[in-house]
Amino acid sequence: MRAQDFNLEGLTKRIPGTGDFISIDIDKCNGCERCIIICMKALWKKKGSKIYLVDDYQTKCLECAACYQVCDANAIKFQYPVGGTGIVIEQG
Amino acid sequence: MKEYDIVIVGGGPGGSTAAKEAAEKGLKTIFFERGRKPGEKNSSGCGLGPRIWREFDIMKELTPDKCPSIREGKAARNYFVNKNDIVAGYVMTRPTESVTYEPAKSWITMNIYRSEFDPWIAKFATDAGAELKTSTLIVDLLKEDGKVIGVVDEKGEKYKGFVIGADGVISMVARQSGLRKKWAHDQVTMCPQYDFSAPPEKIDDIMGDEALAVWWTSTCPASYQVFFHDGFHQGLGNWLSWWDASPLYYLNRIINLKYYQRLLRILEAKPRELQGHLLPWISYPYNTHTENVILIGDAGGFSCPLEAEGIYPAMVTGRIAVEVAADAITAGDTSRTALDIFDEKWKKTSVGEDFEDGEELSKIWQALPFSPQETMSWFVPMFMEAIGGIYDWSQPHSKRIRQIAGHIKMYFPKALPFIMKYVFPLVAKIFENELDKMMDPKQLMAVLPKLLQMLPQKKKKRGEK
Repeated sequence: MRAQDFNLEGLTKRIPGTGDFISIDIDKCNGCERCIIICMKALWKKKGSKIYLVDDYQTKCLECAACYQVCDANAIKFQYPVGGTGIVIEQG
Repeated sequence: MKEYDIVIVGGGPGGSTAAKEAAEKGLKTIFFERGRKPGEKNSSGCGLGPRIWREFDIMKELTPDKCPSIREGKAARNYFVNKNDIVAGYVMTRPTESVTYEPAKSWITMNIYRSEFDPWIAKFATDAGAELKTSTLIVDLLKEDGKVIGVVDEKGEKYKGFVIGADGVISMVARQSGLRKKWAHDQVTMCPQYDFSAPPEKIDDIMGDEALAVWWTSTCPASYQVFFHDGFHQGLGNWLSWWDASPLYYLNRIINLKYYQRLLRILEAKPRELQGHLLPWISYPYNTHTENVILIGDAGGFSCPLEAEGIYPAMVTGRIAVEVAADAITAGDTSRTALDIFDEKWKKTSVGEDFEDGEELSKIWQALPFSPQETMSWFVPMFMEAIGGIYDWSQPHSKRIRQIAGHIKMYFPKALPFIMKYVFPLVAKIFENELDKMMDPKQLMAVLPKLLQMLPQKKKKRGEK
Protein backbone atom coordinates (compact mmCIF):
# COMPACT_ATOMS: atom_id res chain seq x y z
CA MET A 1 0.00 0.00 0.00
CA ARG A 2 1.59 3.21 -1.14
CA ALA A 3 1.65 6.23 1.16
CA GLN A 4 -0.65 8.30 -1.03
CA ASP A 5 -3.34 5.63 -0.55
CA PHE A 6 -3.32 5.91 3.25
CA ASN A 7 -6.52 7.35 4.66
CA LEU A 8 -4.81 9.97 6.83
CA GLU A 9 -7.92 11.15 8.61
CA GLY A 10 -8.61 7.59 9.72
CA LEU A 11 -5.19 7.46 11.39
CA THR A 12 -5.92 9.91 14.19
CA LYS A 13 -8.31 9.45 17.10
CA ARG A 14 -9.72 12.57 18.65
CA ILE A 15 -12.00 13.66 21.46
CA PRO A 16 -13.95 16.60 20.05
CA GLY A 17 -15.13 19.78 21.69
CA THR A 18 -11.83 21.51 22.15
CA GLY A 19 -12.59 25.08 21.06
CA ASP A 20 -9.93 27.17 19.34
CA PHE A 21 -6.37 26.44 20.32
CA ILE A 22 -4.40 27.95 17.42
CA SER A 23 -4.75 31.46 16.03
CA ILE A 24 -2.82 33.83 13.79
CA ASP A 25 -2.32 37.56 14.24
CA ILE A 26 -2.32 38.77 10.64
CA ASP A 27 -0.75 42.11 11.61
CA LYS A 28 2.32 40.32 12.94
CA CYS A 29 2.57 37.75 10.11
CA ASN A 30 5.46 38.46 7.73
CA GLY A 31 4.29 35.97 5.10
CA CYS A 32 7.39 33.75 5.34
CA GLU A 33 5.24 30.64 4.73
CA ARG A 34 7.26 28.43 7.05
CA CYS A 35 4.02 27.34 8.74
CA ILE A 36 2.72 26.19 5.36
CA ILE A 37 5.82 24.08 4.73
CA ILE A 38 6.12 22.53 8.19
CA CYS A 39 2.48 21.49 8.72
CA MET A 40 2.19 17.75 8.03
CA LYS A 41 -1.55 18.07 7.53
CA ALA A 42 -1.37 21.14 5.26
CA LEU A 43 -3.67 23.13 7.54
CA TRP A 44 -2.08 26.48 6.69
CA LYS A 45 -2.99 28.09 3.35
CA LYS A 46 -2.33 31.27 1.47
CA LYS A 47 -4.87 33.42 -0.33
CA GLY A 48 -3.31 36.38 -2.10
CA SER A 49 -0.73 37.52 0.40
CA LYS A 50 -2.76 36.42 3.40
CA ILE A 51 -1.86 33.30 5.40
CA TYR A 52 -4.75 31.57 7.08
CA LEU A 53 -5.60 28.44 9.04
CA VAL A 54 -8.27 26.16 7.57
CA ASP A 55 -11.63 26.34 9.35
CA ASP A 56 -11.75 22.67 10.30
CA TYR A 57 -8.22 22.51 11.73
CA GLN A 58 -9.57 21.33 15.10
CA THR A 59 -10.63 18.04 13.54
CA LYS A 60 -7.35 17.53 11.65
CA CYS A 61 -4.51 19.03 13.72
CA LEU A 62 -1.93 16.64 15.22
CA GLU A 63 -1.08 19.13 18.00
CA CYS A 64 2.64 19.03 17.20
CA ALA A 65 2.91 22.84 17.59
CA ALA A 66 5.46 23.08 14.77
CA CYS A 67 3.60 26.08 13.27
CA TYR A 68 3.90 27.96 16.55
CA GLN A 69 7.51 26.96 17.01
CA VAL A 70 8.59 27.86 13.46
CA CYS A 71 6.97 31.32 13.47
CA ASP A 72 9.73 33.87 13.99
CA ALA A 73 7.25 36.73 13.76
CA ASN A 74 5.40 35.36 16.82
CA ALA A 75 2.18 35.71 14.86
CA ILE A 76 0.94 32.20 15.64
CA LYS A 77 -0.53 31.52 19.06
CA PHE A 78 -0.80 27.94 20.27
CA GLN A 79 -2.09 26.43 23.47
CA TYR A 80 -2.84 22.73 23.85
CA PRO A 81 -6.55 21.85 23.70
CA VAL A 82 -8.33 21.79 27.04
CA GLY A 83 -7.56 18.83 29.28
CA GLY A 84 -9.02 15.51 28.24
CA THR A 85 -9.81 16.60 24.68
CA GLY A 86 -8.04 16.68 21.33
CA ILE A 87 -5.95 13.89 19.85
CA VAL A 88 -5.49 10.56 21.58
CA ILE A 89 -2.32 8.67 20.75
CA GLU A 90 -2.69 4.96 21.38
CA GLN A 91 0.58 3.84 19.81
CA GLY A 92 2.96 6.66 20.66
CA MET B 1 -5.89 27.87 46.45
CA LYS B 2 -4.53 24.42 47.18
CA GLU B 3 -1.13 24.17 48.79
CA TYR B 4 1.54 21.61 48.04
CA ASP B 5 5.28 21.25 48.56
CA ILE B 6 5.89 20.19 44.95
CA VAL B 7 3.73 20.92 41.91
CA ILE B 8 4.75 19.04 38.76
CA VAL B 9 3.43 20.04 35.35
CA GLY B 10 3.42 16.91 33.18
CA GLY B 11 2.75 13.22 33.73
CA GLY B 12 5.36 11.68 31.43
CA PRO B 13 8.27 9.54 32.65
CA GLY B 14 10.13 12.62 33.95
CA GLY B 15 7.14 14.07 35.80
CA SER B 16 6.18 10.68 37.24
CA THR B 17 9.74 9.98 38.40
CA ALA B 18 9.85 13.37 40.08
CA ALA B 19 6.43 12.78 41.68
CA LYS B 20 7.46 9.38 42.99
CA GLU B 21 10.72 10.66 44.47
CA ALA B 22 9.00 13.67 46.02
CA ALA B 23 6.20 11.61 47.59
CA GLU B 24 8.74 9.14 48.95
CA LYS B 25 10.52 12.02 50.68
CA GLY B 26 7.25 12.84 52.42
CA LEU B 27 6.63 15.97 50.37
CA LYS B 28 3.03 16.84 49.54
CA THR B 29 3.06 16.37 45.79
CA ILE B 30 0.68 16.81 42.86
CA PHE B 31 1.36 16.14 39.18
CA PHE B 32 -0.80 17.14 36.24
CA GLU B 33 -1.55 15.37 32.97
CA ARG B 34 -3.54 17.06 30.21
CA GLY B 35 -4.61 13.73 28.70
CA ARG B 36 -7.22 11.50 30.27
CA LYS B 37 -4.33 9.33 31.39
CA PRO B 38 -0.55 9.67 31.11
CA GLY B 39 0.88 8.67 27.74
CA GLU B 40 -2.08 9.42 25.47
CA LYS B 41 -0.82 12.79 24.26
CA ASN B 42 2.07 13.69 21.95
CA SER B 43 5.05 11.91 23.43
CA SER B 44 7.51 10.54 20.97
CA GLY B 45 10.17 8.56 22.82
CA CYS B 46 9.56 4.84 22.62
CA GLY B 47 12.99 3.39 23.40
CA LEU B 48 14.09 2.58 26.94
CA GLY B 49 17.87 2.41 27.18
CA PRO B 50 19.73 0.00 29.47
CA ARG B 51 20.99 2.85 31.65
CA ILE B 52 17.44 3.12 33.02
CA TRP B 53 17.68 -0.48 34.29
CA ARG B 54 21.07 0.26 35.81
CA GLU B 55 19.83 3.27 37.75
CA PHE B 56 16.12 2.78 38.47
CA ASP B 57 15.06 -0.26 40.51
CA ILE B 58 11.43 -0.11 39.36
CA MET B 59 12.48 -1.29 35.89
CA LYS B 60 12.90 -4.85 37.15
CA GLU B 61 9.13 -4.92 37.46
CA LEU B 62 8.50 -3.96 33.82
CA THR B 63 7.24 -7.20 32.28
CA PRO B 64 5.09 -7.90 29.20
CA ASP B 65 1.95 -8.33 31.32
CA LYS B 66 2.40 -4.73 32.54
CA CYS B 67 3.27 -3.41 29.12
CA PRO B 68 2.06 -5.78 26.36
CA SER B 69 3.63 -3.71 23.57
CA ILE B 70 7.16 -4.38 24.82
CA ARG B 71 9.73 -5.82 22.41
CA GLU B 72 13.44 -6.21 22.98
CA GLY B 73 15.51 -4.25 20.49
CA LYS B 74 18.25 -6.87 20.46
CA ALA B 75 19.74 -5.91 17.14
CA ALA B 76 19.61 -2.99 14.76
CA ARG B 77 19.46 -3.06 11.01
CA ASN B 78 21.04 -0.21 9.04
CA TYR B 79 19.73 0.20 5.51
CA PHE B 80 21.71 2.30 3.06
CA VAL B 81 19.58 3.89 0.37
CA ASN B 82 21.20 5.55 -2.65
CA LYS B 83 20.07 8.62 -4.55
CA ASN B 84 17.98 6.49 -6.90
CA ASP B 85 15.91 5.26 -3.93
CA ILE B 86 17.46 1.80 -4.15
CA VAL B 87 18.44 -0.05 -0.97
CA ALA B 88 22.13 -0.44 -1.81
CA GLY B 89 22.81 -2.65 1.20
CA TYR B 90 22.25 -3.21 4.87
CA VAL B 91 24.25 -4.06 7.95
CA MET B 92 22.90 -5.73 11.06
CA THR B 93 24.51 -5.01 14.42
CA ARG B 94 23.91 -6.21 17.97
CA PRO B 95 25.61 -5.25 21.24
CA THR B 96 29.33 -5.86 20.73
CA GLU B 97 31.97 -7.54 22.88
CA SER B 98 33.04 -4.26 24.48
CA VAL B 99 29.67 -3.64 26.16
CA THR B 100 30.25 -4.06 29.90
CA TYR B 101 27.00 -4.80 31.74
CA GLU B 102 23.61 -6.47 31.60
CA PRO B 103 21.05 -5.81 30.25
CA ALA B 104 23.08 -3.73 27.76
CA LYS B 105 24.93 -6.87 26.61
CA SER B 106 21.59 -8.43 25.63
CA TRP B 107 19.75 -5.60 23.94
CA ILE B 108 20.10 -2.03 22.72
CA THR B 109 16.68 -0.73 23.77
CA MET B 110 13.43 -2.02 25.14
CA ASN B 111 10.66 -0.70 22.90
CA ILE B 112 7.31 0.28 24.41
CA TYR B 113 4.22 2.25 23.49
CA ARG B 114 3.96 5.25 25.76
CA SER B 115 0.21 4.74 26.19
CA GLU B 116 1.19 1.70 28.28
CA PHE B 117 4.51 2.75 29.78
CA ASP B 118 3.51 6.19 31.07
CA PRO B 119 0.50 4.97 33.12
CA TRP B 120 2.69 2.16 34.47
CA ILE B 121 5.38 4.52 35.72
CA ALA B 122 2.84 7.08 36.99
CA LYS B 123 1.37 4.42 39.27
CA PHE B 124 4.61 4.25 41.24
CA ALA B 125 4.13 7.93 42.02
CA THR B 126 0.49 7.62 43.05
CA ASP B 127 1.30 4.48 45.09
CA ALA B 128 3.94 6.54 46.90
CA GLY B 129 1.28 9.09 47.78
CA ALA B 130 1.53 11.70 45.02
CA GLU B 131 -1.76 13.08 43.72
CA LEU B 132 -2.30 12.76 39.94
CA LYS B 133 -4.77 15.13 38.30
CA THR B 134 -5.61 14.06 34.76
CA SER B 135 -7.58 15.82 31.97
CA THR B 136 -6.13 19.05 33.32
CA LEU B 137 -4.21 21.60 31.30
CA ILE B 138 -1.99 23.94 33.28
CA VAL B 139 -2.21 27.26 31.47
CA ASP B 140 -0.21 29.69 33.59
CA LEU B 141 2.14 30.19 36.48
CA LEU B 142 0.93 31.69 39.72
CA LYS B 143 3.09 34.68 40.61
CA GLU B 144 3.52 36.92 43.62
CA ASP B 145 5.68 40.06 43.37
CA GLY B 146 6.97 38.73 40.04
CA LYS B 147 8.07 35.43 41.60
CA VAL B 148 6.63 32.07 40.61
CA ILE B 149 4.80 30.51 43.54
CA GLY B 150 2.67 27.88 41.81
CA VAL B 151 0.49 27.09 38.80
CA VAL B 152 -3.00 27.82 37.47
CA ASP B 153 -5.15 25.34 35.57
CA GLU B 154 -7.57 26.04 32.72
CA LYS B 155 -10.48 26.43 35.15
CA GLY B 156 -8.62 29.06 37.15
CA GLU B 157 -7.85 26.70 40.03
CA LYS B 158 -4.59 27.67 41.77
CA TYR B 159 -1.99 25.29 43.15
CA LYS B 160 0.80 26.69 45.29
CA GLY B 161 4.18 24.99 45.57
CA PHE B 162 7.66 24.53 44.13
CA VAL B 163 7.19 24.09 40.37
CA ILE B 164 8.83 21.37 38.32
CA GLY B 165 8.30 21.88 34.59
CA ALA B 166 7.98 18.42 33.05
CA ASP B 167 5.69 19.69 30.33
CA GLY B 168 7.65 18.70 27.27
CA VAL B 169 9.10 20.49 24.29
CA ILE B 170 6.51 23.30 24.17
CA SER B 171 6.85 24.08 27.84
CA MET B 172 4.41 26.56 29.32
CA VAL B 173 6.53 26.56 32.49
CA ALA B 174 9.66 27.57 30.54
CA ARG B 175 7.80 30.31 28.72
CA GLN B 176 5.86 31.83 31.62
CA SER B 177 8.82 31.70 33.99
CA GLY B 178 10.91 33.63 31.46
CA LEU B 179 13.45 30.83 31.09
CA ARG B 180 12.83 30.43 27.37
CA LYS B 181 10.43 31.98 24.89
CA LYS B 182 10.86 29.54 22.04
CA TRP B 183 13.51 27.20 20.76
CA ALA B 184 15.63 28.44 17.89
CA HIS B 185 15.09 26.59 14.60
CA ASP B 186 18.32 24.66 15.08
CA GLN B 187 17.37 23.53 18.59
CA VAL B 188 14.26 21.56 17.82
CA THR B 189 13.46 18.81 15.34
CA MET B 190 10.19 18.01 13.58
CA CYS B 191 9.36 14.31 13.39
CA PRO B 192 6.48 12.91 11.34
CA GLN B 193 5.76 9.31 12.29
CA TYR B 194 3.47 6.48 11.24
CA ASP B 195 2.54 3.56 13.40
CA PHE B 196 1.78 0.33 11.51
CA SER B 197 0.07 -2.72 12.90
CA ALA B 198 1.59 -6.11 12.09
CA PRO B 199 0.95 -9.63 13.43
CA PRO B 200 3.53 -10.39 16.16
CA GLU B 201 4.45 -13.74 14.58
CA LYS B 202 5.20 -12.00 11.26
CA ILE B 203 7.53 -9.57 13.02
CA ASP B 204 9.19 -12.49 14.85
CA ASP B 205 9.68 -14.47 11.63
CA ILE B 206 10.76 -11.68 9.33
CA MET B 207 12.69 -9.33 11.61
CA GLY B 208 13.89 -11.80 14.24
CA ASP B 209 16.02 -9.92 16.80
CA GLU B 210 16.18 -6.88 14.57
CA ALA B 211 13.62 -4.73 16.31
CA LEU B 212 15.31 -1.47 15.38
CA ALA B 213 16.32 -0.08 12.02
CA VAL B 214 17.73 3.11 10.62
CA TRP B 215 17.22 3.90 6.95
CA TRP B 216 20.24 5.98 5.95
CA THR B 217 19.17 7.64 2.74
CA SER B 218 20.57 10.00 0.15
CA THR B 219 17.28 11.74 -0.49
CA CYS B 220 15.58 12.01 2.93
CA PRO B 221 16.70 12.60 6.51
CA ALA B 222 17.63 9.30 8.17
CA SER B 223 14.47 7.40 9.04
CA TYR B 224 14.03 5.21 12.10
CA GLN B 225 11.96 2.08 12.45
CA VAL B 226 11.09 0.72 15.88
CA PHE B 227 9.29 -2.59 16.34
CA PHE B 228 6.88 -3.32 19.15
CA HIS B 229 4.97 -6.49 19.98
CA ASP B 230 2.27 -6.01 17.35
CA GLY B 231 3.41 -3.08 15.26
CA PHE B 232 6.12 -0.62 14.42
CA HIS B 233 6.90 3.05 14.04
CA GLN B 234 8.38 4.57 10.93
CA GLY B 235 9.46 8.15 11.35
CA LEU B 236 12.12 10.66 10.52
CA GLY B 237 13.16 14.07 11.70
CA ASN B 238 15.23 17.11 11.07
CA TRP B 239 15.81 20.50 12.60
CA LEU B 240 13.17 23.12 11.85
CA SER B 241 15.73 25.07 9.85
CA TRP B 242 16.06 22.24 7.31
CA TRP B 243 12.66 21.59 5.72
CA ASP B 244 11.94 22.72 2.16
CA ALA B 245 8.79 20.60 1.78
CA SER B 246 6.25 18.94 4.06
CA PRO B 247 7.80 16.52 6.57
CA LEU B 248 5.17 14.03 5.42
CA TYR B 249 6.46 14.26 1.84
CA TYR B 250 9.85 12.97 3.00
CA LEU B 251 8.40 10.26 5.24
CA ASN B 252 6.18 9.08 2.39
CA ARG B 253 9.26 8.74 0.18
CA ILE B 254 10.59 6.15 2.61
CA ILE B 255 7.24 4.35 2.69
CA ASN B 256 7.19 4.27 -1.11
CA LEU B 257 10.65 2.76 -1.52
CA LYS B 258 10.26 -0.46 -3.47
CA TYR B 259 12.07 -2.34 -0.71
CA TYR B 260 9.84 -0.81 1.96
CA GLN B 261 6.69 -1.69 0.05
CA ARG B 262 7.84 -5.31 -0.01
CA LEU B 263 8.50 -5.18 3.72
CA LEU B 264 4.99 -3.83 4.36
CA ARG B 265 3.53 -6.63 2.24
CA ILE B 266 5.36 -9.51 3.87
CA LEU B 267 4.84 -8.11 7.39
CA GLU B 268 1.14 -7.74 6.54
CA ALA B 269 1.50 -4.23 7.93
CA LYS B 270 -1.31 -1.72 7.93
CA PRO B 271 -1.11 1.98 8.78
CA ARG B 272 -2.66 2.48 12.22
CA GLU B 273 -1.74 5.95 13.44
CA LEU B 274 -0.20 9.18 12.21
CA GLN B 275 1.73 11.37 14.61
CA GLY B 276 3.70 14.60 14.49
CA HIS B 277 6.23 15.32 17.18
CA LEU B 278 8.63 18.09 18.06
CA LEU B 279 11.82 17.00 19.74
CA PRO B 280 14.35 19.32 21.38
CA TRP B 281 17.83 18.45 20.17
CA ILE B 282 20.40 20.83 21.54
CA SER B 283 24.12 20.74 22.23
CA TYR B 284 23.91 21.84 25.86
CA PRO B 285 21.01 22.59 28.22
CA TYR B 286 20.84 26.14 29.56
CA ASN B 287 18.42 28.25 31.63
CA THR B 288 17.24 25.13 33.41
CA HIS B 289 15.95 26.85 36.55
CA THR B 290 14.89 30.06 38.18
CA GLU B 291 13.48 30.94 41.57
CA ASN B 292 11.12 28.18 42.72
CA VAL B 293 11.20 26.52 39.27
CA ILE B 294 13.21 23.68 37.70
CA LEU B 295 12.79 22.33 34.16
CA ILE B 296 13.37 18.64 33.47
CA GLY B 297 13.27 16.30 30.47
CA ASP B 298 12.31 17.78 27.10
CA ALA B 299 11.12 20.98 28.80
CA GLY B 300 14.73 21.61 29.83
CA GLY B 301 16.24 20.38 26.55
CA PHE B 302 17.56 17.18 28.10
CA SER B 303 17.59 14.72 25.25
CA CYS B 304 20.74 12.90 24.20
CA PRO B 305 22.71 15.18 21.84
CA LEU B 306 23.65 12.30 19.53
CA GLU B 307 20.52 10.16 19.20
CA ALA B 308 17.90 12.16 21.13
CA GLU B 309 17.15 9.44 23.69
CA GLY B 310 14.67 11.28 25.89
CA ILE B 311 13.07 9.05 28.53
CA TYR B 312 16.25 8.26 30.44
CA PRO B 313 17.44 11.89 30.70
CA ALA B 314 13.91 12.93 31.74
CA MET B 315 13.93 10.37 34.57
CA VAL B 316 17.42 11.33 35.71
CA THR B 317 16.71 15.05 35.74
CA GLY B 318 13.33 14.42 37.40
CA ARG B 319 15.00 12.60 40.26
CA ILE B 320 17.71 15.25 40.66
CA ALA B 321 15.23 18.13 40.50
CA VAL B 322 13.38 16.67 43.49
CA GLU B 323 16.60 16.14 45.48
CA VAL B 324 17.52 19.78 44.88
CA ALA B 325 14.00 21.09 45.52
CA ALA B 326 13.66 19.09 48.76
CA ASP B 327 16.96 20.46 50.11
CA ALA B 328 16.04 24.00 49.04
CA ILE B 329 12.61 23.79 50.68
CA THR B 330 14.16 22.46 53.90
CA ALA B 331 16.76 25.24 53.88
CA GLY B 332 14.05 27.82 53.20
CA ASP B 333 15.88 29.13 50.14
CA THR B 334 14.55 28.31 46.67
CA SER B 335 16.25 31.25 44.96
CA ARG B 336 17.81 30.87 41.55
CA THR B 337 21.29 30.82 43.08
CA ALA B 338 20.32 28.16 45.59
CA LEU B 339 19.02 26.01 42.74
CA ASP B 340 22.26 26.32 40.75
CA ILE B 341 23.17 23.02 42.36
CA PHE B 342 20.66 21.39 39.96
CA ASP B 343 23.08 22.11 37.10
CA GLU B 344 26.06 20.90 39.13
CA LYS B 345 24.27 17.65 39.88
CA TRP B 346 23.00 16.70 36.41
CA LYS B 347 26.37 17.54 34.91
CA LYS B 348 27.89 14.82 37.10
CA THR B 349 25.50 12.14 35.82
CA SER B 350 25.72 9.89 32.78
CA VAL B 351 23.39 12.38 31.07
CA GLY B 352 25.81 15.22 31.84
CA GLU B 353 28.68 13.22 30.42
CA ASP B 354 26.83 12.92 27.10
CA PHE B 355 26.46 16.69 27.00
CA GLU B 356 30.18 17.23 27.64
CA ASP B 357 30.63 16.30 23.99
CA GLY B 358 27.18 17.55 23.05
CA GLU B 359 28.22 20.06 20.45
CA GLU B 360 30.44 17.64 18.55
CA LEU B 361 27.89 14.82 18.82
CA SER B 362 24.94 16.87 17.59
CA LYS B 363 27.01 18.45 14.81
CA ILE B 364 28.08 15.13 13.35
CA TRP B 365 24.50 13.90 13.41
CA GLN B 366 23.33 17.10 11.74
CA ALA B 367 26.03 16.80 9.07
CA LEU B 368 25.62 13.10 8.29
CA PRO B 369 22.20 11.41 8.42
CA PHE B 370 20.39 14.74 8.54
CA SER B 371 22.13 16.08 5.45
CA PRO B 372 20.99 13.65 2.78
CA GLN B 373 21.91 15.63 -0.32
CA GLU B 374 25.17 17.10 0.96
CA THR B 375 26.59 14.07 2.75
CA MET B 376 24.64 10.84 2.43
CA SER B 377 24.65 11.10 -1.37
CA TRP B 378 28.41 10.32 -1.37
CA PHE B 379 28.57 8.47 1.92
CA VAL B 380 26.21 5.69 0.82
CA PRO B 381 28.00 4.75 -2.44
CA MET B 382 31.42 5.09 -0.79
CA PHE B 383 30.42 2.89 2.13
CA MET B 384 28.75 0.33 -0.11
CA GLU B 385 31.80 0.26 -2.38
CA ALA B 386 33.89 -0.58 0.68
CA ILE B 387 31.65 -3.31 2.09
CA GLY B 388 29.96 -4.61 -1.02
CA GLY B 389 32.34 -4.02 -3.92
CA ILE B 390 34.23 -7.27 -3.63
CA TYR B 391 31.17 -9.47 -4.08
CA ASP B 392 31.42 -9.33 -7.84
CA TRP B 393 32.29 -11.65 -10.72
CA SER B 394 32.75 -9.04 -13.40
CA GLN B 395 36.56 -8.96 -13.38
CA PRO B 396 39.55 -10.81 -11.95
CA HIS B 397 39.33 -10.09 -8.20
CA SER B 398 42.64 -8.22 -8.05
CA LYS B 399 41.37 -5.89 -10.74
CA ARG B 400 38.15 -5.41 -8.80
CA ILE B 401 40.10 -4.43 -5.70
CA ARG B 402 41.96 -1.81 -7.73
CA GLN B 403 38.66 -0.59 -9.16
CA ILE B 404 37.13 -0.37 -5.70
CA ALA B 405 40.16 1.43 -4.25
CA GLY B 406 40.18 3.85 -7.13
CA HIS B 407 36.48 4.52 -6.80
CA ILE B 408 36.66 5.10 -3.05
CA LYS B 409 39.59 7.45 -3.69
CA MET B 410 37.29 9.43 -5.97
CA TYR B 411 35.08 10.26 -2.98
CA PHE B 412 38.01 11.43 -0.84
CA PRO B 413 37.72 15.11 -1.82
CA LYS B 414 34.26 15.01 -0.23
CA ALA B 415 35.00 12.59 2.58
CA LEU B 416 38.22 14.12 3.86
CA PRO B 417 36.88 17.62 4.60
CA PHE B 418 33.93 15.95 6.34
CA ILE B 419 36.22 13.82 8.46
CA MET B 420 38.41 16.82 9.28
CA LYS B 421 35.44 19.00 10.18
CA TYR B 422 33.24 16.60 12.11
CA VAL B 423 34.91 13.30 12.93
CA PHE B 424 38.31 14.46 14.18
CA PRO B 425 36.98 17.13 16.53
CA LEU B 426 34.66 14.54 18.06
CA VAL B 427 37.36 11.91 18.42
CA ALA B 428 39.80 14.48 19.80
CA LYS B 429 37.17 15.66 22.33
CA ILE B 430 36.34 12.16 23.46
CA PHE B 431 39.96 11.05 23.87
CA GLU B 432 41.05 14.47 25.09
CA ASN B 433 44.83 14.92 25.08
CA GLU B 434 45.80 11.38 24.21
CA LEU B 435 45.09 11.71 20.54
CA ASP B 436 45.93 15.36 20.09
CA LYS B 437 49.04 14.62 18.09
CA MET B 438 47.43 12.02 15.91
CA MET B 439 44.51 14.30 15.23
CA ASP B 440 46.59 17.31 14.30
CA PRO B 441 45.18 18.25 10.87
CA LYS B 442 48.59 19.45 9.60
CA GLN B 443 50.28 16.17 10.39
CA LEU B 444 47.41 14.23 8.89
CA MET B 445 47.43 16.18 5.67
CA ALA B 446 51.16 15.59 5.45
CA VAL B 447 50.67 11.84 5.67
CA LEU B 448 47.38 11.18 3.91
CA PRO B 449 48.28 12.21 0.35
CA LYS B 450 51.38 10.03 0.56
CA LEU B 451 49.29 7.09 1.69
CA LEU B 452 46.94 7.67 -1.21
CA GLN B 453 49.81 7.70 -3.67
CA MET B 454 50.86 4.34 -2.35
CA LEU B 455 47.67 2.75 -3.65
CA PRO B 456 48.85 0.50 -6.50
CA GLN B 457 48.18 1.76 -9.99
CA LYS B 458 49.29 -1.32 -11.92
CA LYS B 459 49.89 -4.90 -11.03
CA LYS B 460 52.96 -6.74 -12.25
CA LYS B 461 52.32 -10.10 -13.86
CA ARG B 462 53.71 -13.29 -12.31
CA GLY B 463 57.39 -13.60 -13.28
CA GLU B 464 57.57 -10.01 -14.51
CA LYS B 465 60.28 -7.79 -13.07
